[in-house]
Amino acid sequence: MLVSDVHFPKDLTEALDILRKRPGTLVYAGGTDILREQASRGLELPAELIYVRDLPELRRAGLTERFLEIGAAVTLSEILELGEAALPPLLAEAIRGVASPTIRNLATIGGNLASRSRFMDSWPALACLDALIELRDQGGATWMNVNRLVGADGRPAFPEGALLTRVRVPIERWDAWLLRKVGLSDYPAPETAVFAFSARAEKGILVEVRIAFAGESALRSQALESSLIGRSLPLSPRESSSIASEYRGLASEFGDNLSLQFGALVDGALGLLSR
Amino acid sequence: MVYVATVRSPSARGSIRSIRFPRLPAGYRSILPADIPGRNRIQSFGAEVPILAHDKVSYAGEPVALIAGPDPVLLEELAAATKVTCDEEEPYLNWESFSSDQVAVKRVAVVGDPDLAFSIAASVFEESYTSGAIEHYYSEPQGAAAAYDYDKIAVWSATQWPYHVRDSVALALGCRAEEVSVRPTRLGVHLDGKLWYPSLLACHAAIASIACGRPAKIVLTREEDFRFSPKRARSSVNVRAALGSSGLLSAMDVRIAINVGAYGPLAEEIVSQAVLACTGAYACPNLRVEGYAVVTNTLPAGAFGGLGASHSLFAVEAHANRMAAAAGEDPADWKSRNVLRKGSPLLTGEPMGEEVPYEAILSSLAAASDYRRKYACYELVRKRRSGRSDGPLRGIGLSFAYQGAGPFLSGDASNSYTVEATLDKDLKVRILTSAAGGAGLVMDVWRQSAAQILGVEIESVSIAVPDTDQVPDSGPSTLSRNVSVINRLVVRACEAVQKRRFRDPLPLTARSVYRVPKPIKWEGGQVSGSPFDTAAWAGAVVEVELDSWTMEPKPLGIWLCVDGGQVVSPERAAASLRSGVADALGACLCERFSPSEAAAPGSAYFRYGLLPLQALPPISIAFLPQGRRAPVKGIGELPFDTVPAAFLSALSQAADSSFSCLPVPYARIFGALETP
Amino acid sequence: MTISLILNGEDVSAKVRSVDRLADLLRDTFHLIGLRSDCRCGRCGRCLVFLDGRLVPSCIIPAFAARGKEVVTIEGYAQTEDYADVKAGFADAGVSTCGFCEESKIMAAGALLERRPRPTPREILEQMSSAPCRCTDPDAIVKAVLAASDRRARRLYRRAGQ
Repeated sequence: MLVSDVHFPKDLTEALDILRKRPGTLVYAGGTDILREQASRGLELPAELIYVRDLPELRRAGLTERFLEIGAAVTLSEILELGEAALPPLLAEAIRGVASPTIRNLATIGGNLASRSRFMDSWPALACLDALIELRDQGGATWMNVNRLVGADGRPAFPEGALLTRVRVPIERWDAWLLRKVGLSDYPAPETAVFAFSARAEKGILVEVRIAFAGESALRSQALESSLIGRSLPLSPRESSSIASEYRGLASEFGDNLSLQFGALVDGALGLLSR
Repeated sequence: MVYVATVRSPSARGSIRSIRFPRLPAGYRSILPADIPGRNRIQSFGAEVPILAHDKVSYAGEPVALIAGPDPVLLEELAAATKVTCDEEEPYLNWESFSSDQVAVKRVAVVGDPDLAFSIAASVFEESYTSGAIEHYYSEPQGAAAAYDYDKIAVWSATQWPYHVRDSVALALGCRAEEVSVRPTRLGVHLDGKLWYPSLLACHAAIASIACGRPAKIVLTREEDFRFSPKRARSSVNVRAALGSSGLLSAMDVRIAINVGAYGPLAEEIVSQAVLACTGAYACPNLRVEGYAVVTNTLPAGAFGGLGASHSLFAVEAHANRMAAAAGEDPADWKSRNVLRKGSPLLTGEPMGEEVPYEAILSSLAAASDYRRKYACYELVRKRRSGRSDGPLRGIGLSFAYQGAGPFLSGDASNSYTVEATLDKDLKVRILTSAAGGAGLVMDVWRQSAAQILGVEIESVSIAVPDTDQVPDSGPSTLSRNVSVINRLVVRACEAVQKRRFRDPLPLTARSVYRVPKPIKWEGGQVSGSPFDTAAWAGAVVEVELDSWTMEPKPLGIWLCVDGGQVVSPERAAASLRSGVADALGACLCERFSPSEAAAPGSAYFRYGLLPLQALPPISIAFLPQGRRAPVKGIGELPFDTVPAAFLSALSQAADSSFSCLPVPYARIFGALETP
Repeated sequence: MTISLILNGEDVSAKVRSVDRLADLLRDTFHLIGLRSDCRCGRCGRCLVFLDGRLVPSCIIPAFAARGKEVVTIEGYAQTEDYADVKAGFADAGVSTCGFCEESKIMAAGALLERRPRPTPREILEQMSSAPCRCTDPDAIVKAVLAASDRRARRLYRRAGQ
């Protein structure tokens, strides 16, 4: 059993300083993903870790006209408590489906996005909403679209060495949205994934559509989305099922069940636009 | 005090070549088979289970050694650092088809002339139904503690059978049974997962205590318990049924294979019960049934909410529903025609002695669930549907089954069980029975019986804690026995007290002894006895909808109607049945235990969870009204005997397919719905 | 490392290793055996504590994360009026549990009522899934929490009236 060095920075500056001096230090907030599959009595933690859960800069949440900003160490429960007026329904629905209320009291949005092993429940919703994450390191701060957290192989590609500090969710009007968790399990398993969809229409023309699906891998196709934009609504059943099967083709690495479910969900979501 | 950690076999089958412990600090010691003072085995219903595997290992995870010491944290590490190497052999894993040396128990019965009946049958249907393994997820993971208490060894154990613990520990320590005192701790909901395994852990604790000269405690974590304690046995039931031109069941040929894992401690009981239940609630004049308990090199497996009947009841009901659907008939009518009646021939050769309340139960269920109309409607939609998105994907299933008298525990030493009742000077009554652990609601039944006979308030009746120094051996506590056997003994003991009451001074104590006369006998293909003695009957209706996008089954409603005889407290009984229904539904939907996955450390344990409460549909429980002299019956197993088959049939209708195992993998549902 | 925290209202400190789970610290060092560290994955609900007012599974929290915080275990919570309301609500509804999950369920109910004084049945069932048990009757548990909600409301009204 390796006993770790635990750093308790009192603010973000101190935290970044520690990360600069000791790159590779594990960032620890809620810890629910880090400790997810550890059954031994003693925790298995790396040699060094930095506890960021209480950093004041990571604990704020605020709403402006244009976006909702949430600190990385804000818990999933706290996000839900921001209320319907502040929270985009797609995101609220995604977070509501995570684990159980007690785990949501512990898990943070930053941790939910920073998982290295798979995509967690908030990613598809945030991807559809084109949310941005702020990454801080010795060079400064950059904002990155969450869609760039997906590697070329569809697997998580979280930038190493950077600290996720804030999430910024654009506030936009959506005419239709759908969020579905797939796989009858409240635990992130190979057969679970989350589907997110949002769309906007003007004068019967589809002007914006976003479709994201993620479990162990993630999928969002701007090419297919572009091919839908500009079409007049309602889409014909043939159009919907044609797009759905293209998506299904892209999703083959998810396995039989998930790719079939994904295709059906795309079809169903597009069907919402027909009403 | 010392804690005890278990060193386990990494191999499913083989011989132990070496066990290499890490350097053990002072105060820590290893315990090997040679350290067992008495015999290195537990005896359980005819099977023998090693306390610590010596030379041969029979399943991955089998205990081969123990380490005892004061710090549980360090212990865990020491156990993990211990290297066990085995000369591996090819493990026996097949069980749906198996070799004869894997057969631990075989039960055969033949009635009438099935071959002839099949040859002249109007139609024949055959299908195999499989039930998967389920984790008990009881209220508390297993464990035990042991310590010297003057001249005795005291053992603390959460067990359904304190006397089995006592006798097992005595055998292991090589002492007399009277020198062991078992003090039961709170049992909670056990779902029959604590019948014999607690005795194994008790032996571990006792041996460690003797070896270290200190009190010793072994406690499994949920993860260890999940991976290494016995689970519900997997089963495969092949049913071939013949119908005459009138739609009456004329013959059945049933082959039951139950995977009891390594050693198969409850094999005899489970196979016997499964075979007895192989025709379900139906009259079948010609029958051949073969039941096999198949031993494999996997975790020992056995009881779960009953001991064996549910495997057959699931298959028979699913099959009956399928036959009805194939003939374009509502299963309710099929059942009506074929259900047992007074005088119907039973597989035991005797005629059925009582009426079966099928019509009354059906009537209640149909009214509550609107079953008839829904079944017809969903059949119509199913036949006309052209694709996944054409119409709601709904189904409704009906099942009808019973909970019998319970395990007969044939094959064990005395078959003689005792209950004691005492009426003291303050007119307070104490009942002493070893079956009190985890008896829950049934204790109210005993108290009611005592109160009625002795003319006291039920509040004056108490049930003693089943400490083996205080209470007699009444056998184990199981859902059915607690009513069929124990309650009778309570009644007799109280009657004996009542008889002497006005002659002799108080306090008065009476014992009643029941020698179970091997109620079911198996002899060369013939079975005799009365399996329906005090059987409780129930019907279940399950309505299911498939999400049209994700194809995931969503239960819409569950209705259970029970003929439970005299129900002492209907509200509490209904609450208990509702939680049983929730548990049965979990087994249908999301609880899947794979012994091979669980043997290795990893996510199988983390992924296993009970069905979240918010996913439950409305559950409605109804009891048939009873006459005043209705007997008391055990009803706790009924949800497991009825809900799965009704669920399977509902799902099959919704997906327009014929499923035959639970849970159904999504790929199968998709496949069924995608093909036009 | 040595950490200080407020445990059931008292200032305490303890030596902890980074690998220690909070649940084990509470049980072994502080002998608060009302909680258990069984599942080690935050699922079974037997290790629930209030951490800075939030109900969390202490088995998946490192002991060091309690540094400087307020921890209330069932031993502390059982002294509160919130607990009394819930316990009485369970009795009103005639809920009988297996005995093992009762305290976890009471804490879960209490935590819910604090934030949602009038919860819907669905909210109740979701919250009670934080303490899953084979013995749970969904109807009874909803009744119990609604009864507790009534009691709590009456108590707070009385207090407001004074």
